[in-house]
Amino acid sequence: MTGLLEIRERIKMLYSRYEVFILPIVKFLFALIVLNTLNGKIGYMKRLDNIAIVLIVSLMCSFLPKGCMVIFAALFSLLHMYALSMEVALVGLCMFLVMFLLFFRFSPKDSVLALLTPLLFAMKIPYVIPIAAGLLCSPASAVSVGCGVAAHYFFQTVIVSAPALGTMGDSEAIAKLRLIIDGIVKNKEMLVVIAAYGITIVVVYLIRRMSLDHVWTIAMVAGAMTNIVILLVGDLVYDINISIGGALLGSLLALAVAKVIEFFRFCVDYSRTEKVQFEDDEYYYYVKAVPKMTVSAPAKTVKRINTQRHRGSERGVTTELTPKRAQERAQSRSGGSSGARRTRGDYRGGKSVTVGNMDPDVENMGNDDYEELF
Amino acid sequence: MLNEERVILMTQMASYEGGEGRKNVKIGNYFRSDYIAVQVLKSVVSGTIAFGIIFALYILYDFEVFMQDLYKIDLLAFAKNVLTNYAISIVAYGLLTYIISTYRYVKAKKSLKSYYHSLKKLSSLYGDESVKKKSAGGSK
Repeated sequence: MTGLLEIRERIKMLYSRYEVFILPIVKFLFALIVLNTLNGKIGYMKRLDNIAIVLIVSLMCSFLPKGCMVIFAALFSLLHMYALSMEVALVGLCMFLVMFLLFFRFSPKDSVLALLTPLLFAMKIPYVIPIAAGLLCSPASAVSVGCGVAAHYFFQTVIVSAPALGTMGDSEAIAKLRLIIDGIVKNKEMLVVIAAYGITIVVVYLIRRMSLDHVWTIAMVAGAMTNIVILLVGDLVYDINISIGGALLGSLLALAVAKVIEFFRFCVDYSRTEKVQFEDDEYYYYVKAVPKMTVSAPAKTVKRINTQRHRGSERGVTTELTPKRAQERAQSRSGGSSGARRTRGDYRGGKSVTVGNMDPDVENMGNDDYEELF
Repeated sequence: MLNEERVILMTQMASYEGGEGRKNVKIGNYFRSDYIAVQVLKSVVSGTIAFGIIFALYILYDFEVFMQDLYKIDLLAFAKNVLTNYAISIVAYGLLTYIISTYRYVKAKKSLKSYYHSLKKLSSLYGDESVKKKSAGGSK
């Protein structure tokens, strides 16, 4: 465990030191994966399915705000749908507009979840998202996740209907429209999944806010169970053929991912929990303090080894005072006041270990011959 | 001379101003009723547009049937039905907006109160420092 905690501290240190570079790189990679997945799934517009365009847009996303990534992804999908059929693009545009107007107004920060949800569906690990959102975000993120689920099922409808749409002529515009709208509105699986994910997020959030030991673990297990139960009930009621084995395996994977999230966000030591009680003029306070598990990342110390200046045939190790320390000692002997308090910089002139070697060639080496890292 | 406590306080405040604080300051510029009214008004506008989009899709979905029955159906009853649905949706959405914006306003005010408290503390730290400087100057 200590080793893992050390690794965590190093990762945190690395991130805080290079955040300026890491964040745009992560955004760039995320945009690249999202746009490539979109091109792979619904790449009907061949001109858009071009790595140069994807790279340029991803590069733009790397320095633009996160919300722009959602807009670019929506534009990409609409253009692909337009290449398939104008009616599909029209339905897509209406759907995205309703989402932007009604839902993203309230949780613009979580809009990335609407992008992440279809991506995780495409990667076959969608069960991670409700548990992770419940652990890390507020219950309002259920709206963004719901929008993401709707977008995923909309893309699925487009992919399934694409061959039929291809055979329909221009005169059958209304029939095309009806095919797509039916695919969304009458999709019971989508409604069950939206309900399951929404309730799971709220359950996980409510449990993780409780004052219990191992509350994050309890929250994630309860969330996974809630999700499976709602999906099973939905499957029984609407006969929607949800893969139970897939749901169980996916939930286990989601739990593993949630444990990793817990390690980085909520690693506490319950064995050292303290309960204190105090009061002021207005309140009684019952406080439960749980210490975080932390170790400091091992610091590197540099030991400087210098060559010895005096002559002799054998190799010896002596200690000597460096000029700064010698000067300081001389000052203190003469009754100077400089020895009262030393700043950190003054400690540079400390005691050094000198390794002597009488080989004349070696003698000509400079003071800082080599540095040893411990 | 650097005052460590002041630097820590200023860093915390700068971080707040750059992130969550910016949004909260905007909210704090309004009176409670004004902020909620603006948010509800925005919701009514966006809800109306969204309803219009959904209604247009609904008409397009059954466009042929609708055109065939246009002269047969009671248009007034149809309009009344549509308007009732519109009113119910807008009132529900407006109510939701009212609840959310009230919660956000209260939260933002609470957060700003703590920010202003930090500002006062910073000001008093500057005051302490100037007093010290003056007294040091006087003793010379």
